[in-house]
Amino acid sequence: MTELERVLVALGRELDFPPAPDLVPSVRERLERRRFAFAPSRRVLALAVALVVVAFGIALAVPQARSAILDFFHIGAATVERVDTLPPAQERPLAAGLGPLLPRREAEIRAQLAIRLPDFDGPAPRRFYAQPGLIATLLHYRGKPVLLAELRDDQVGIAKKFAGPGTTVEPVQLGDFALWIEGGEHVIRWFFGVGEERRIDTTRFAGNVLIWLDGSTTFRLEGDLNKNQMLELARDITR
Amino acid sequence: MVGRPLDENDLIRRAQRGDKHAYEELVYAYQGIAFRTAYLLAGDGADAEEAAQDGFVKAWRALGRFRDGAPFRPWLLQIVANEARNRRRSAGRRAHLATRAATEHASGDAAPSPEVALLSAEQREALLAAVNELPEDQRTVITLRYFLGLSEQEVAETLALPTGTVKSRTSRALERLRESYD
Repeated sequence: MTELERVLVALGRELDFPPAPDLVPSVRERLERRRFAFAPSRRVLALAVALVVVAFGIALAVPQARSAILDFFHIGAATVERVDTLPPAQERPLAAGLGPLLPRREAEIRAQLAIRLPDFDGPAPRRFYAQPGLIATLLHYRGKPVLLAELRDDQVGIAKKFAGPGTTVEPVQLGDFALWIEGGEHVIRWFFGVGEERRIDTTRFAGNVLIWLDGSTTFRLEGDLNKNQMLELARDITR
Repeated sequence: MVGRPLDENDLIRRAQRGDKHAYEELVYAYQGIAFRTAYLLAGDGADAEEAAQDGFVKAWRALGRFRDGAPFRPWLLQIVANEARNRRRSAGRRAHLATRAATEHASGDAAPSPEVALLSAEQREALLAAVNELPEDQRTVITLRYFLGLSEQEVAETLALPTGTVKSRTSRALERLRESYD
């Protein structure tokens, strides 16, 4: 090694590198996220969506098939069930039963989940609802309140959705799999806790809902928006 | 994670079988060099952190293609380097290096190594400025080779270049730098 090369090596030790971050937690989190991700190829995904569309077509056309296929539909942490008679429910605010409002950091710690927010021009939410495995907030989009809830499917915090006979349930292209639920009377139930401690917190009538699975997280938007508006907002969250 | 003997080949084989804990040990072991490589190529701390993180995630996915017994470090650094260069291109930025002394104290309070101490503060800054002014391909080779201490073979693998190309770029770069140094 020449003198110049030795000086360069020594100069390298004097360089002002920023302190190296600890990458282990962030890499672990991303690998964990992928562990739960349903990550088929686009072709397989397209085929799966097509099959679901066909299944829904059959369900709508044939009453027996409809009851067989739509008895119980599962997306990540959410289930959608079509029933003949709705359970007793009340008109309640969008965030009813989700607990007290918390600052973002506190809510994320309680939920053990970092919330993903849309990048849009509306006012950024400052207060959040949290339960273990669930984080939620109220957005104001196109002048209307919209409840955004994000749930971990490997934890508690399960949303269950009932759809009455007048309700449209339609698969849409978003994330790993998505359903758009609109019209008629339908109710939502939040389940919290596990085992014997599991409880139904609230049963209330719900507005238009978009539910989708992206990796290991289930996303749910509810509000008085049409399908295209809701999809637009959703794509801003999990783009 | 700290204090256990690190058998790299064993960790790699376990990681290839899906053992995330084994892979975390590899991340722990290589995060420093991965971040510094990314920083030299991206020229920005935040981009370097993202590039290193993305590199580790992509390397995990690509582990099935890693050849048993091959050196892991240059294989990993090649993935990280690609991420870092993509970010630099997107940002339209050129990396600019500085010494701690220049950044923290223009007075030169920091204690330089013996070799560098032989140079005046002005000579040090002039040499580093000359490195910063090198054409990008030469500068990259010089910084990886001398500032990070990679071997010629590792530089070649990291940059996916033939060893002969690394040799010629190094030689041309040293020739230019000698003018500033002498």
